[in-house]
Amino acid sequence: MANSLRLYLACIKNTLEAAMCLQNFPCQEVERHNKPEVELKTSPELLLNPVLICRNEAEKCLIETSINSLRISLKVKQADELENILTKKFLRFLSMRAEAFQVLRRKPVQGYDISFLITNYHCEEMQKQKLIDFIIQFMEARYRERNKRLEGVSEHQRTTRCDRVSETVHVKQHLRYYNVTPHCINHSLFG
Amino acid sequence: MAGAAALVEADNANEIMARIETKSQKIESLLKHYKHVEALKTALDGSPLTTYDERCKSANWIVVHRAIMAIKDIDGMLNSLAAEYYDILMKYLYRGLSTGNEPTCEQCLIIHEKLIERAGLGCILRCLSDTNSV
Repeated sequence: MANSLRLYLACIKNTLEAAMCLQNFPCQEVERHNKPEVELKTSPELLLNPVLICRNEAEKCLIETSINSLRISLKVKQADELENILTKKFLRFLSMRAEAFQVLRRKPVQGYDISFLITNYHCEEMQKQKLIDFIIQFMEARYRERNKRLEGVSEHQRTTRCDRVSETVHVKQHLRYYNVTPHCINHSLFG
Repeated sequence: MAGAAALVEADNANEIMARIETKSQKIESLLKHYKHVEALKTALDGSPLTTYDERCKSANWIVVHRAIMAIKDIDGMLNSLAAEYYDILMKYLYRGLSTGNEPTCEQCLIIHEKLIERAGLGCILRCLSDTNSV
């Protein structure tokens, strides 16, 4: 299990190292505009082949590259409804603070849980190796937290908490595993 | 003109399918004699890269998949595989990784790691940028 995770992360790391060859490329369609080509997909000659790396049916990573930008979309395994709710809440919490992360995309790509968008500007300001390490460490931290959470919650607690209408109380308790303060939770859940 | 080109493509596709059929039988006999490396080389040879026909590509993928899953000694396999096969093998590994089938993905991840140590990152980049897909 641990070995397959190590291989999966190593594969993603190697693919990112090869795919992260970005340079500045102004928009060909509109003057004075500079857009991430991987998002717009207007010209096929600017795009590389997208690569899908799956560990199993539930976990996958889609890496799409273009001349000036790279998009990484991740889907993580969710064992049941409770985990689905927690993951959605947590990743939504992160996506709303996407500006602080800089490389995070506000909305994940359809069919995935979270997406990163790295442009040539990010590669100029930050080191390429550090960007790749950040993404890999993000994934490792997710897996570690998930394993810790699965040990902490008993079967009975999982079924009762799923059935209850006021799930937000229990969501708050679990979000504390991620060291998220109550103020931030209230702001993210209730606006 | 376009009609004539489509007819040529269809004939080519039938020829390619027939070739893949004979290749598949040859590979089955090689696997029975535990010649995994030769089976993989036969599977990778003559891959339909330039055709647009999805049937040919799928048929060849099934054959290559059979050869890849039969391999037990990956280091030995890569030692005896010539460098010209690395790029095409990498393309098939990524195709295997996109299937989502757990045993296939596991095998492909193991081979991917070992292949990168030998072939380097250029192999991945050639796979990403090549318009002739598998």
